[in-house]
Amino acid sequence: MIRILLRYLVLFSLTFLTLSALSFSLVYLFPTEPVTTLTGITPQNLVQHEALVTQYHLDDSYLVQFAHYLGDLFNGNWGVSLFSGEPLLDEIMLALPATIELSAYAMSIVLVVGIPLGCYSGLKAYTGSDYTINSVSVVVNSVPVVWLAVIFILTFSLQFGWLPLSGRINLLFDIPSQTGFLFIDILLTDNIDTARALKDAFLHLILPTLAIAFISTAALVRITRRSVIDVLNQPYIIAARAKGLSSRQIFFRHVLRNALLPALPLLAMQITTLITNAMIVETLFSWPGIGSWLIQAIYQRDYSALRMGMLAVSTLVVMITIAIDLFNRLIDPSREKYESVTI
Amino acid sequence: MPLLDIKNLTLEIDTGTQSIKALDKINLTVNSGEIRALVGESGSGKSLIVQAIAGATPPNWTITADRMSWSGNNLLSMSEQQRRQILRKDIGVVFQNALASLDPSVTLGEQLEESLPDQLVEGNWFWQRKQNRRKVVVSTVHKVGIKDHEHYLRAYPHQIPTDIGQKLMLAMALISQPKMLIADDPTRGMETTTKVQVLKLLSRLNQTRSLGILFVSHDLLAIASMSDTMTVLYCGQTVESGKMKNIRKRPLHPYTKALLDSAPSFTKDLPPKSELPTLAGTIPTLQHLPIGCRLGPRCPRAQRDCVNVPAVRKIHDHSYSCHFPLHRDKS
Repeated sequence: MIRILLRYLVLFSLTFLTLSALSFSLVYLFPTEPVTTLTGITPQNLVQHEALVTQYHLDDSYLVQFAHYLGDLFNGNWGVSLFSGEPLLDEIMLALPATIELSAYAMSIVLVVGIPLGCYSGLKAYTGSDYTINSVSVVVNSVPVVWLAVIFILTFSLQFGWLPLSGRINLLFDIPSQTGFLFIDILLTDNIDTARALKDAFLHLILPTLAIAFISTAALVRITRRSVIDVLNQPYIIAARAKGLSSRQIFFRHVLRNALLPALPLLAMQITTLITNAMIVETLFSWPGIGSWLIQAIYQRDYSALRMGMLAVSTLVVMITIAIDLFNRLIDPSREKYESVTI
Repeated sequence: MPLLDIKNLTLEIDTGTQSIKALDKINLTVNSGEIRALVGESGSGKSLIVQAIAGATPPNWTITADRMSWSGNNLLSMSEQQRRQILRKDIGVVFQNALASLDPSVTLGEQLEESLPDQLVEGNWFWQRKQNRRKVVVSTVHKVGIKDHEHYLRAYPHQIPTDIGQKLMLAMALISQPKMLIADDPTRGMETTTKVQVLKLLSRLNQTRSLGILFVSHDLLAIASMSDTMTVLYCGQTVESGKMKNIRKRPLHPYTKALLDSAPSFTKDLPPKSELPTLAGTIPTLQHLPIGCRLGPRCPRAQRDCVNVPAVRKIHDHSYSCHFPLHRDKS
C-alpha cells in the first residue's frame, strides 16, 4: 500500500519536474527579455535590470537558474503579472478555484447522468432505446462546446430570459473571496441574504455547467455502454445466470463493478477534455476562472502570467489523472501490486 | 420419471448471413441417481447442450425442442422466475472454462457464499447466518479437496491455479445441494491423482445422495469406470445412446466404435508398434456441415442412403441412428 503510494508520488514528482522545466524554458523562448518573462517586471533602468539579474541568478548556468526557479516556485514567489502587477500566485489562486468548482459540478452531472444511461443502454443493447441513446450521444459528442454554449445563451438568456447571461453571481452581492469556492464563501459571509445569494449563484451556474456536462456525458455514455456490453458477454456472467441469480443481482454484483473498472481510465482522459471545455465556456460566460484569465493573458501578451498559468493548469490535470489511476489501482483487485505506474 | 428429459433439441445459431443448426435433434435423459456420460470430440456441441440446459444463451441462438422438461415441468414454457429457481436449487452447473467463469473482481469466498441459497442457511439472526454460511462454505471447499481454505477463499480468480479454479466451480455447483449436476469437463487438464479424487467425490455423491450427473467429457477412460449410461455425440447429432456396458461391448454406430477403438486400453489385443486405429479426417466446422448423417464423409460404412438423416432406432434402451449399423447386418 505505502509502496504503491510512493510509486505514484515519484511519478508525480518526475512529471512535475518535467512540467516546470518546460515552463522554465518558456522564459527563454518567449520573444521578450528573460528577466521580464521570469519576474513580470519590465526594468526601467540598467540598475534595476542588474539587480533583478542578480536576484534571479540569471548570470549563472541554466541548471543553477532552474534550481532557483524551483525554489521560487515552492516559496510562492511566482513573479507578478506583466499587465496588472499583481502577484501571480494570488491571481491564480483566485481564478483556479472557480474553474475547479465549475468542472466539479459538471463532472458530477456527467457521472450521475452518464453512468446510469450508459448501463441502461448497454443492458438493452441493440434495441430501439439503445440505438436512440447511442445516436443522440454520438451527435452531442460531435457538437463543438463553443457553439453549444452560444446556443444556450441565445435560447435561455436572450430569448426567454430565464437564466443570467454571465458571471458567477449578481454583482449586488458582495462576497469576499476566502476559499475561492463560491458556495462556501457565501455560507461564510455574514451580512448578506444567504438564501437569495445561493439561489442567484445557482442560477448563474446552470448554463455553463450544462454546456460542459452535455458533451462529456455523451462520451461517458458510450464508454459505459461499450464496457457493459463487453462484460455481459463474459463467461462469468453466463455462470452467474446458471447459478440462478436474478438479472438485478447479476447486474449489481457482477456487471457493474467489472464494467466500471476498465471505464475509469477512459474517464480520466475525459476529465482533461472536460477541463479544456470548461476553460472555453468560461470565456463565453465571463466566468472568472483560469480559462478566461489565460485567454486575457494571451491577448495582453502577459508572458509571465502565461508561463505560470500553463504550469498551474497542467499540474492540476496531471494531479487528477494520477489520482484517478491511483484510485483505480486501489479498488481493482486484478491489478498486480508491483505493476509499474503510468499516466 | 426422469429428472431431465430432452427430446429433439435443436439449436440454431444465427450468424447474420445464415442460420446454422449447431445441434440437430438431440435426445438426452438423465434419471435421478444416474451418471450419464456425454461424449464426443471437440466441436461436437457438448458445451452447447450444457449452455442450452443452463438457459444461458446469447440472443442469436434459437432453441426448439419437442420436450425439454425438468422432473415433468416444461423448461421452455415456464417463466424466467421458475426456471431460475430450478437452476438455483436443483441444478448445479460446472462450466468448462473454470477461471473465466469466475468473476474477476469478487473474492472466491464471496462467490461461493452467493451460490448458497438462503434456505440452506440456518440461524435467525444475521450474525448466526453469517457464521453458518461461512461454515457451509468451508466444509464444501474441503469436500472438493481444497485444504488451504483460508488462503483460497480470500483470493481473486487471477491468483489461483486452474485446478483449484475447477474445484471451486465444482464446490459452487454442489453447495446448493442440487438434485442434478451438469459437469462440463470438470477434470480437464488435471493431473491423474487429483482427477481420481474428483471422480471419486462425484461417484460418492451419486451413491449417497442419489445425485444425477451429466458428465460431459472426452476422457473415455475416466467416464467408463463411473458412468451408467452414455450418449455419444457427433457434430451436433446424437449418434448412439444406451447403457455403458452394452455400448462398450457392442457399439452399433461406426462412430462409437471408432471412438472406443481410439482409446488404447479398450482394445485389448493391440500388437506392439502397430498403428493406432483412428477415423480419417477431422470433425467439420459449423459453417460446412454435411447434409444427412453428418458422419457421412468420414464414415467407413457410408453408402448412398447416408445423405438422408437416419431415424433413431431403438433396441430395448439402446438407441442409435445409423442406416447401416454394425453387428446388425443379418437382420
